[in-house]
Amino acid sequence: MTVYLRALRLVNFRNYADATALLSPGLNIIVGDNAQGKTNLLEAISFTVTGSTPRTPRENEVVRWGEDFARTEARISLDGSTDERAVAIGYAPGQKKRITVDGAPGPSLTNYAAGGAGARVVTFFPDDIRVVKGAPADRREFLDTLLSSLRPAYARAVVEYAKAVGQRNQLLRRIRDGFSSERTLATWDRKVVDFGKVVLEGREAAMEPLEEYFRDSLRVLYGSEKAAIRYSYTTTLGDYSEALREAHATDIDRGTTSIGPHRDDFEVLLGGVNLTMFGSQGQQRLATLALKFAARDYVRGMVGEDPILLFDDVMSELDESRREYLAGYFLESTQAVISTTNLEYFGSDILQRTRIIRISGGSILETATNGVRK
Amino acid sequence: MATYARPVERLITELSKLPSIGPKSAQRIAFHIVRGRQDDAFGLADALREVKEKIHPCKRCFNLTEAEECDICRDTRRDQSVICAVEDPYDIGSIERTGEYRGLYHVLGGALSPLDGIDPENLRIAELLERVQREETKEIVIATNPNTTGEATALFIAQELEDSPVRVTALASGLPVGGDLEYADEVTLGRAFAGRREL
Repeated sequence: MTVYLRALRLVNFRNYADATALLSPGLNIIVGDNAQGKTNLLEAISFTVTGSTPRTPRENEVVRWGEDFARTEARISLDGSTDERAVAIGYAPGQKKRITVDGAPGPSLTNYAAGGAGARVVTFFPDDIRVVKGAPADRREFLDTLLSSLRPAYARAVVEYAKAVGQRNQLLRRIRDGFSSERTLATWDRKVVDFGKVVLEGREAAMEPLEEYFRDSLRVLYGSEKAAIRYSYTTTLGDYSEALREAHATDIDRGTTSIGPHRDDFEVLLGGVNLTMFGSQGQQRLATLALKFAARDYVRGMVGEDPILLFDDVMSELDESRREYLAGYFLESTQAVISTTNLEYFGSDILQRTRIIRISGGSILETATNGVRK
Repeated sequence: MATYARPVERLITELSKLPSIGPKSAQRIAFHIVRGRQDDAFGLADALREVKEKIHPCKRCFNLTEAEECDICRDTRRDQSVICAVEDPYDIGSIERTGEYRGLYHVLGGALSPLDGIDPENLRIAELLERVQREETKEIVIATNPNTTGEATALFIAQELEDSPVRVTALASGLPVGGDLEYADEVTLGRAFAGRREL
């Protein structure tokens, strides 16, 4: 079971006018000075495989300055070398994305993101430390992105849930301001609970395996202290309908839905200490990495295939022993693409088994295979 | 300052109020009318006038009709004990074309949507509830659109009728007939799965 991305072509994507990169199974290292386009290349891989960028909500930024569209194409090798899938995303801001799979119009964006390309990705960008350090919304997004990439039904429930909550919130304000009666509130409660339950069930089912993977990963990265992630509920599945009804008065007063999965969070704990509030920058960074590795293991457990790992500038902040561990980890992955400014982070034995991709000013200068494993 | 003579400007403005007609289409249609034959233009004007003068909602079901009651309501051969509730009059056409339904209709005039400021009072839900009582209806089939607002509307009507003896049903959602399973989108297929039935 080896799904990997063999080739990528970028047209008008960020600082790339037209570039092609060849990739290998195992470890690929993108190397270049700062601001040359390493991160953009990683972003492009994610964009092509999932249909949207993980980096910014302002997606029109991916279109090269002065151009009106961006296009990315990838060849994804499925299960061996002969069976290959060609996927492409065409994107002009303000228009529907054009997704094609093997030359034919692809599925909807939601379904494409849930493995429509035949591959999945787990990404790490330096800013992702907010999953541990940041607001509850960042942690919910981590869970929702991961679970949506595995189940279209979950992805749809997240979208429909947000719509139902939006309608309910508007109704609450209208009731508060005297424009509507409370007659339909119970109806919107039901709609909210219908979709909210699917979200909550999905997250509940994922927490236990995720925690186990997280604990294992953090033990290797950090040491023996006991790590945990704990879901914090605003309401449990069993009490959901009842709790929403009891919240009517408060919700009307505030004009917003105060309980449900859109307000939940999870705690990241190390030795019983909440890392979000009390962790050092270093602990938060390692915990973020461990969560990403847990996501990798979770995808593997669910679909039996490794996601492609896309890790941006992950080595610079780590000490030597951890860099060594990570290099080995990536090397043993089905496919990992990582970026760095400094190849000296890697021992010669590792570089020998790695594909090096040199980047400069939005051009891919060369991709050298140093005896890459097949 | 207006680019064109006032009557032309006015025509463009009126046309651009129509659904899915943007300013450019409005301009193109307006000039088509200006250039075209007088009979055609007057024909269109007459048709517009006639439809507004003669067509109004059916007293009973709010379908569109020229008479007091619509043809469907006046057709005594139809099953008077079943009412199918739809969002818009054109939904009736879709259901009629199936030839499978022989009951009556009720046009709600939209769906509940707090975001658009649409409450039950803005729909013909009270009229439906009243009708059910007056006509001793046995079953209501709710055929609102299978989206968030349509489903909420269906749910609300069902809740309002909870204590009444009338049977409330909703259309099933699932796979298109004659298609292949592999072409069904995941959401539709997922729903069809959830609503699977005993054979």
